[in-house]
Amino acid sequence: MASLPGAAAPGASRALARPRRRRPALLGLAGILPALVLIVGLILYPVGYAIWLSFFDKHSFFPQERWIGLGNYVRLVGDPEFWDSLWKGTVYAAGTTALQLVFGVAAALVLHRTFRGRTAVRALVLFPYMIPTIVAVIVWRWLLNETFGLVDHLLVAWRIVRQPIAWLSVDHIMTSLIVMSVWQFAPFVTLSVLARLQTIPLELYEAARVDGASAWARFRHITLPQIRAVIFVVILLRGIWMFTKFDTVWLWGEGAGAGAEIRTLPIYAYMRTFTYYQAGFGAALSVVMFVLLMMATGLYFRLFWRDEERT
Amino acid sequence: MTCKSATTFALLSALLLTAASAGAADKKVVRLWQTETEPQTLAVLNEMAAAYEKTHPDVSIKIEGLAWGDLEKKLTAALAAGAPPDAAHGQPITCVSFAAKGLLRPVEDLADSLGKDNIVDAFRGLCRWQGRTYGVGHSPASSLFVYRKDLLNQKGLKVPKSWDELIQVAEALKETKDGQVVRYGLTMTGAPLFINIGVGELLKTNGGRLFDDQGRPTLTSKPVIELLDFYKKLNGVLPPGWTGHGYLDTFANLANGKAAMLYQAYGRGAGYIEKYAPKEIADPEHFAVADKVVGPSGKLPAAQLDCEPWMVFKDAKGASEAVDFLKFFFKDENYVPYLHSVPIHLLSIKKSTTKNPKYADNAMIAKWRPWVDMQEKYFKNDWIKPVLVTDWDDMKKPYLLEVMGSGILVDMVFDAVKGMPSAEAAAKAQKRVEDLLVQTGYLKK
Repeated sequence: MASLPGAAAPGASRALARPRRRRPALLGLAGILPALVLIVGLILYPVGYAIWLSFFDKHSFFPQERWIGLGNYVRLVGDPEFWDSLWKGTVYAAGTTALQLVFGVAAALVLHRTFRGRTAVRALVLFPYMIPTIVAVIVWRWLLNETFGLVDHLLVAWRIVRQPIAWLSVDHIMTSLIVMSVWQFAPFVTLSVLARLQTIPLELYEAARVDGASAWARFRHITLPQIRAVIFVVILLRGIWMFTKFDTVWLWGEGAGAGAEIRTLPIYAYMRTFTYYQAGFGAALSVVMFVLLMMATGLYFRLFWRDEERT
Repeated sequence: MTCKSATTFALLSALLLTAASAGAADKKVVRLWQTETEPQTLAVLNEMAAAYEKTHPDVSIKIEGLAWGDLEKKLTAALAAGAPPDAAHGQPITCVSFAAKGLLRPVEDLADSLGKDNIVDAFRGLCRWQGRTYGVGHSPASSLFVYRKDLLNQKGLKVPKSWDELIQVAEALKETKDGQVVRYGLTMTGAPLFINIGVGELLKTNGGRLFDDQGRPTLTSKPVIELLDFYKKLNGVLPPGWTGHGYLDTFANLANGKAAMLYQAYGRGAGYIEKYAPKEIADPEHFAVADKVVGPSGKLPAAQLDCEPWMVFKDAKGASEAVDFLKFFFKDENYVPYLHSVPIHLLSIKKSTTKNPKYADNAMIAKWRPWVDMQEKYFKNDWIKPVLVTDWDDMKKPYLLEVMGSGILVDMVFDAVKGMPSAEAAAKAQKRVEDLLVQTGYLKK
């Protein structure tokens, strides 16, 4: 077939079309490049480096390193302090997450109701989540000091207890840390649940009322199913964040003394890296923490996700 | 705004920014980390820095105050990140550890500038490694045993001299009202750093050591077991929450009358007493000092030497400028106001300054003289040692920093306090310290 003058050959037109198709792809790539660089630089590289480091015997501030393969992991399995910190971390994460959920959801339900000064109360409820951790810890440590703190003073004055409770001592430091952490982080649950509550159609409640449903029945059959998806995410996020929580726990007890009772896994990993100067072992602890969280997350999805999907 | 004027504005802004950053870049920034965080001390140091910068326009001095208990961890994190300051305070054992690891610049030039024989004898060897000086203490102080003299007199009690007497007097001083304890006999902190300090100090008063001449831990020795038994007894007389009490909480307990004796007090406590105790009793007649109590196997009192050496980091870009600034720091016209910022706690490391009338001319020093005298008595008798050091030879062991940081000795004390038999707690700690030293290559299996 003779080609018309001026018309490009089929092969040539394909060759011309290719760069044109490529241009949007390149533009797209350029668009996501900053995010990609950030993800690789700030997430993938540190995680990869921590995994790499965990196979070495490495001092925290000297460049020399010695390949020991799985040596750090073998040591870790036989290390009673690791198991102890894992247990304490689990108690702390489970305790605080459960209580945050209870208080956070309850607060959200109260704040969803109409009452005078609701806006001010909503702002106040968020306050603990917004103040710096160091400020919260200093204030709470002062409040809970059993010789001059306000909490014990009131408990004794109101005859709730006969003797002051030594909140920061070895016996009660985990309890006081959980109380303080719930106070600090429950507003996140409140905020998330409240946002969802505000999107539930009022018609559902009106219809239930017409059918004679009690308050409990309305909560159980309307509110709870509607907020289940949010609760699913909140439990996941708060559980992960509390298991890896460092600042509050460290400032509360410094990892030793009475603080040994709250020496959770992140604290122990930090101590191994920066006070024992064993960066390789510290990295192995971090990797184990990461793997444990991945496994727990996988299990959580396996057990509960289908229900959520249906919801 | 037109396109032309917007462009002109942008260009001018860029020029100004470039000029400003170039100006800042011309100056060499010298960063110093130090542990005196009281506002008046920071003010003196900042004034000193400003005065130095006036005569050294090419240098910018940045002084940062760090909490004492955090210093080692922050220095380690900075070293791990490859960004240590140019100079910093450190515990003497930190200084030795860093010197042994080759991280410090020798500072003989700084020591010489103070006058070879001018440094108080007890502090010349504060940070020496293989014959060289790597640190010069900023100001020495010793831990103190403070008691309420008026309360002891009221109850006809004598000042305790032994561990057992301390427990007895503490029990006798405890006061209750309507079933509530209104005053405890004794207060001590459970903060990790101070437990480490207490272990070294009390062990010394009990004639014990933490390490033998070969560098092996001696935690299963009799003096250590007795020490742990003593901590168990202390646990019975201290406030129930003492394990969670911070350093400053104990000063508050003493100054506010919540406790009658403070075992690990320091000179700066005088300032807290002046500030918080009732005016009519805020004096050394009521808050008196005495020798530290002696253990059953010991003969002499012992106290902790609180004197962080200035260390200069070898790879610091501003190392020589930092040394130059520190020479300026030790000049009496700068050093005396620094010492006077916390008068009873910051004593002079220079003999000449102690004799300087300007130094002695201070109302607090005049008032709290017995507290200063007690510290000088400890210095003269060589009853003071840095944290975890029970013998000056221990300063040759470069791993005390790792032992302190690991918290093993703190765990040992708390295991005992929580009810573990002392011998078992000691054996557990012995194994952990041995493991640590083997892992870090300081000890052969």
